[in-house]
Amino acid sequence: MFDYIVNVSGYILEGSLITFQLYLVTAVFSVGLGIAGALGKISKIPFLQAILSFYTWVFRGTPLLLQLFFAYYGLPVLGITLQPFPAAALTFIINYGAYFTEIFRGGIESIPEGQYEAAEVLGLNYRQTMSRIIIPQTVKRVLPATSNEAINLVKDSALVAVIGLGDLLRSAKVSVTRDFSIIPFIIAAIFYLVISSIIVTVFRKLEKKYSVYE
Amino acid sequence: MIKAKNICKSFTDLEVLSNVSFAVKQGEVISIIGPSGSGKSTLLRSLIGLEKINSGQLFIEGTQVKDDNKIAYRKMGMVFQGFNLFPHKTVLENLIEAPLVVNKEKKALAIKRAENLLKKVGLFDKKNSYPAQLSGGQKQRVAIARALAMKPDIMLFDEPTSSLDPELVGEVLTVIKDLADENITMLIVTHEMGFARDVSDRVFFMDQGKIISDTVPEKIFVNPESKRIQTFLTKILSQNDSSQ
Ligand SMILES: Nc1ncnc2c1ncn2[C@@H]1O[C@H](COP(=O)(O)OP(=O)(O)OP(=O)(O)O)[C@@H](O)[C@H]1O
Ligand SMILES: [Mg+2]
Repeated sequence: MFDYIVNVSGYILEGSLITFQLYLVTAVFSVGLGIAGALGKISKIPFLQAILSFYTWVFRGTPLLLQLFFAYYGLPVLGITLQPFPAAALTFIINYGAYFTEIFRGGIESIPEGQYEAAEVLGLNYRQTMSRIIIPQTVKRVLPATSNEAINLVKDSALVAVIGLGDLLRSAKVSVTRDFSIIPFIIAAIFYLVISSIIVTVFRKLEKKYSVYE
Repeated sequence: MIKAKNICKSFTDLEVLSNVSFAVKQGEVISIIGPSGSGKSTLLRSLIGLEKINSGQLFIEGTQVKDDNKIAYRKMGMVFQGFNLFPHKTVLENLIEAPLVVNKEKKALAIKRAENLLKKVGLFDKKNSYPAQLSGGQKQRVAIARALAMKPDIMLFDEPTSSLDPELVGEVLTVIKDLADENITMLIVTHEMGFARDVSDRVFFMDQGKIISDTVPEKIFVNPESKRIQTFLTKILSQNDSSQ
């Protein structure tokens, strides 16, 4: 029994490598996309704002699973074939980028106008004002919402099992079917809980660090 | 030092400054008084480029300021009613931010000057505090020091004591008075009539987007020439009394 648990855990751990990779790639690029999107949305360029509004409307208003199917099964119809991992990564980045765009936009807009004015009369230019005054204050304000998304992403990552990517959940399911045992699912649940807990802890630390000034 | 010629400013169809002209000499201290909505803040904000004027000309130390000539704005510092300190930076960091980033000063030098300025406004011991840990009066003194850290020739104050509890007003006014003695040019929008009378060389009375009186304080406070000013002063003095 103990040997079995160790064996299955090892197998599921292998699957979780894909989950980790997907998580990292998505986290890095969707946050970047979200910052760019938010800056675009608060810019005074109507064309850019329109495009970004359409983008967030579509990707926040349709199921992630549909977007995943679209990237993996739909795009080949148009002659674009993606391997499972790139298809999943692309979908997740664009989807989470849409959420982060809105979160960061809200955060930036919550910074009072007086901060911009103080920076301006001191001679800071737009780039300096954003990077040194506005964004650092925004980070603090968006931490709770970002933390939620970070945990959602752990759970959403399991969706990639449906396009045949051998992630944590899929490894567990394969074991369940093969061994006719419920233990792999329990192990998978524990894995997810551990990952989520680590993320929650990291964000708590961050929030604590940022709470020094208020 | 400052010369304004026929400045006009409208927000959509509301004319807020109409043909405002005046001149301020080096070292002069000007108080700007007048009823709410008369355009006092807009005037200061136009001087430093926070508002774009629709027409007219503005010269700072002989240079005409325009959007493509922001250098002239750098001769001025501004202090706001709401302090607008950077909450994520300590007091010292608030002071050295612009000298480091805008003027590319050496850090040690910027810190030294910042510390001297903090001593001057009596807040040296708060240099490592965050703004949230300060009282309103302390915040405003930091804001003044922060503006001074950029070595402005001209300081603009927009109701620097209006959001302070009455017992904290004095400490801020004292700091501003000290500056006046140092021969720095200042324009101060204020509702503190006693202070205006004390500190200023001239008083501008604004009404409906115009400077309707530009004269020495004795004249405006002791012997106001127009009915409009009389009414205003009576009203504001009785307000100040009732708030004390
Ligand atoms: N950004 C703006 N958009 C539209 N109207 C504005 C704007 N800023 C000021 N105004 C209007 O311009 C007029 C003058 O405003 P201003 O703030 O200059 O008055 P003020 O003399 O400073 O008044 P107070 O004593 O209340 O501060 C007011 O009617 C105000 O509503
Ligand atoms: Mg005002």
